[in-house]
Amino acid sequence: MKVVKFSVSLLVTVALILLLNNGWTIKNIPIPPLGKFLDPFHGFWQNIESEGQTFEGALDIAGLKAPVTVHFDSLMIPHIFAQNDDDLYLAQGYITAYHRLWQMEFQTHAAAGRVSEIIASDAVLNFDRSQRRLGMSYGAKRALKFMESDSVINHCVKKYTEGINRYIESLGYEDLPFEYKLLDYEPEAWTPFKCALQSKNLSKTLNIGDKDMEMTNALKLFGKEVVDLLYPDNENPGDPIVDNPGGWKFKPINIDTVALAMPTELIKIKKLPGPDPTTGSNNWAVAGSKTSTGSPMLSGDPHLTLSLPSIWYAIQLNAPGVNAMGVSLPGAPGIIIGFNDSIAWSMTNAQRDLVDWYKIQFEDQRKDKYLLDEKWIPTEKVVEAITVKGQPTFYDTVCYTYWGPVTYDETFRAENNLSGYAFRWIAHEQTEEVLALYKLNRAKNHADYMDALNHFGSPAQNFVFASVSGDIAMRIQGKFPVRRKEEGKFVLDGSKSSNGWQAFIPNDQNVAYKNPARGFVSSANQYPVDNTYPYFVTATSYEAYRNRRINDVLARTNSIKPQDLMRLQLDNYNLKAAESLPYFLSQLDSANLKGEELTAYLTLKNWDYFNHAESAGASYYEAWWDILMPMLWDEMSKEGVELQRPTTFQTIRLLKEQPTLNFFDIQETSEKETAREVLRESFSRAANHMSEFKAKHNDKVDWATYKGSYIGHLIPNMKALSVPVTTGGNHDIVNAHSTTHGPSWRMVVSLEKSGVKTWATYPGGQSGNPGSKHYDDMIDRWTKGQYFEMLFLKNSETTSPRIMTTTTLNPTTK
Amino acid sequence: MKLALQLIFIFLLAFVLELFLPWWFIAVAAFAGGALFNSKGNFLAGFLAIALLWTIKALLIESSAATTLADRVASIFMLNKPLLFLVMAILGGLVGGFAAMTGSALQGSKRRNYY
Repeated sequence: MKVVKFSVSLLVTVALILLLNNGWTIKNIPIPPLGKFLDPFHGFWQNIESEGQTFEGALDIAGLKAPVTVHFDSLMIPHIFAQNDDDLYLAQGYITAYHRLWQMEFQTHAAAGRVSEIIASDAVLNFDRSQRRLGMSYGAKRALKFMESDSVINHCVKKYTEGINRYIESLGYEDLPFEYKLLDYEPEAWTPFKCALQSKNLSKTLNIGDKDMEMTNALKLFGKEVVDLLYPDNENPGDPIVDNPGGWKFKPINIDTVALAMPTELIKIKKLPGPDPTTGSNNWAVAGSKTSTGSPMLSGDPHLTLSLPSIWYAIQLNAPGVNAMGVSLPGAPGIIIGFNDSIAWSMTNAQRDLVDWYKIQFEDQRKDKYLLDEKWIPTEKVVEAITVKGQPTFYDTVCYTYWGPVTYDETFRAENNLSGYAFRWIAHEQTEEVLALYKLNRAKNHADYMDALNHFGSPAQNFVFASVSGDIAMRIQGKFPVRRKEEGKFVLDGSKSSNGWQAFIPNDQNVAYKNPARGFVSSANQYPVDNTYPYFVTATSYEAYRNRRINDVLARTNSIKPQDLMRLQLDNYNLKAAESLPYFLSQLDSANLKGEELTAYLTLKNWDYFNHAESAGASYYEAWWDILMPMLWDEMSKEGVELQRPTTFQTIRLLKEQPTLNFFDIQETSEKETAREVLRESFSRAANHMSEFKAKHNDKVDWATYKGSYIGHLIPNMKALSVPVTTGGNHDIVNAHSTTHGPSWRMVVSLEKSGVKTWATYPGGQSGNPGSKHYDDMIDRWTKGQYFEMLFLKNSETTSPRIMTTTTLNPTTK
Repeated sequence: MKLALQLIFIFLLAFVLELFLPWWFIAVAAFAGGALFNSKGNFLAGFLAIALLWTIKALLIESSAATTLADRVASIFMLNKPLLFLVMAILGGLVGGFAAMTGSALQGSKRRNYY
């Protein structure tokens, strides 16, 4: 034996294997274990599916009571037929995990503030800290408490969890979803707590908006009169969701206390980024009297940040007592938006203030005690341990008070060390959404729908409804605190418990109606109700344009066909432009425009107000608007003081009605500008900006190119796994597709007596695997505004040429 | 000739081991090939056997692929697909080559031929 040669080459071989079997971080860029990752027998190549690849999960699953039949259709949508509820949810968990395991785990890690375990960076650590300081897990623990206390839901969540875990247990390295291999980690066991976390994610996306601090600062800087002018409680663009004047015949709960004291301070914190105020959703239902079939039709069109793997997972669930289909949220049992043999339902977000901030006064810098009702009360300190990949654990102490967690203090985005801001949020309440959806999936009629919704607390939603029996309805459901006038608009004094929520609006006093005379119901995140509703209503903002366009089209269309509703979902009419552009153009010195400005002027003058993909006018208008807004409200961009710009609708109104408003003066110039000067200056800059854009993009100025929409992968900045798309629309337009947000599930249901028919599409695909053709196979049709007719099977024996494969999952005693 | 047989031996053994065991068992296959054959070019045989095995397997997967995941992965690493193949072949090849060299060093001299 050649000892030296042997030792040296052995050392090199072992070192190479170790080098290639472990992940490394070089200059902050994580490198996966290259040998493992590139090996075509186990690495990422194993995630590449072939053209005809079918379901390849195990067929024998412990925990099932009876065989479960699963048909996969041409879109890879599973149709699950079980003989009892337990098996149904176990199979749902198993099949969902088969397609979406990485996504559901990643999203619940994000909810719990645990992304640092996977990706180490300062931005991620800050994100994790904010999730913990907002009490996401604290809310999820309360949600879990309900899940465990209700025997039906306890079973359903446990079985769903079991299904996911059966799948996880079946995986070797080569079977792991692609992202685990890329980021070099492994899935952990699923728990019911993760189901609860997933529902908090939805609450955070939809119900966390507030402007309390911004309004408090505006009050201090500008005074109450200006605050009322810039931020009215109701902008009254017309068409609230439920217009039922005088129809509120109940005795409202009256909170009889002295008027709330107005705050007088300037808050210097760096607020966490809130949800995008321009996102929203559409839904509506049309009565049989207005349709070509004589049966009701329903449209569901939730708008969210579009991502891959897709937000939604389409599925049909069938067991004794239930035959429902629609979209589910991977990680939550049941169907969230969809239809069954008898009814259909969908949701849009209910705009309502469900967040309050309370100023906390600590006794001293140790923060052991805080003032409440003239007594020093001990804080409850929770030490959050954030595991960071490849680095020491980060510890963050969060103080909990009577109100909730103290999100902001001197260690996190605030300066003052004797006060902090505590967060009271509806998603911290114990609520029962899973039960509401369980019942809604099984509802047969309007009464069942009303009963199911009584359990729905958060996130508050506008629930549209239609039934085969001929009813249409709308109900704004959630847990809404009864508010005194002005309550919730400003930061509250946290030293008085009387400043808290005293009561919730009883379910039967929530805004709702059924079969209105106009023959349709609709919602698009606008103001909820006419002004005879007896409760004080406030929110961060209300939608002002989509809702009026939808109602306008529905009111003047009769003998409606499903295709008409699809066309309306795809409607690109820019009502905001129609209401503002003629005025804007009239303010320009149009006779003296030259060059690029003249081109811009003529393009805009000849524009038809439709944000179609190929429209150049839309590009010029949106560019102008995006430059105009910050110029108009330059007063709102103060260093270190959070302020919020007035809404689009209010801005346009003020430009027209009060063109000499002080705010329109540009602060950095010595002259005094009015609306006219700001419009001219912003127009000139926009024309210049467009000419630069044109030069950089081969003379292209069409709206789709200018908008540059894409569907991003959930891993931040992972461009290689994202998909660019070419579409029209924008926020404030019915087809609400902006650069990154948009229609996440377009659904049209016709509730015919001979059988419910549904057409739908979403921007993604059933598989979360970027190596599967079902990762993005629906995007093309979605982009073109085309729909798929959903295959909705009566029972497991129903045959269809669209069933591609059928699998039977069998119980095993293993 | 001996080198060719050694190469084929490593290729086949590595293929069989990879079906059941983690990726680094390619080193065990190459080690065995080096020890049993001890040709004039142990490193070359080990390198080529694994580089070929991985390239062929990856090409087979690519030939029936319904998607462009390999291109996406290449772009994550700021490469193109041919370069991704090259990196893969070189890394696998290096492990194979050094492992074969190690195996061959087990034998002191040329006193024993396996065939």
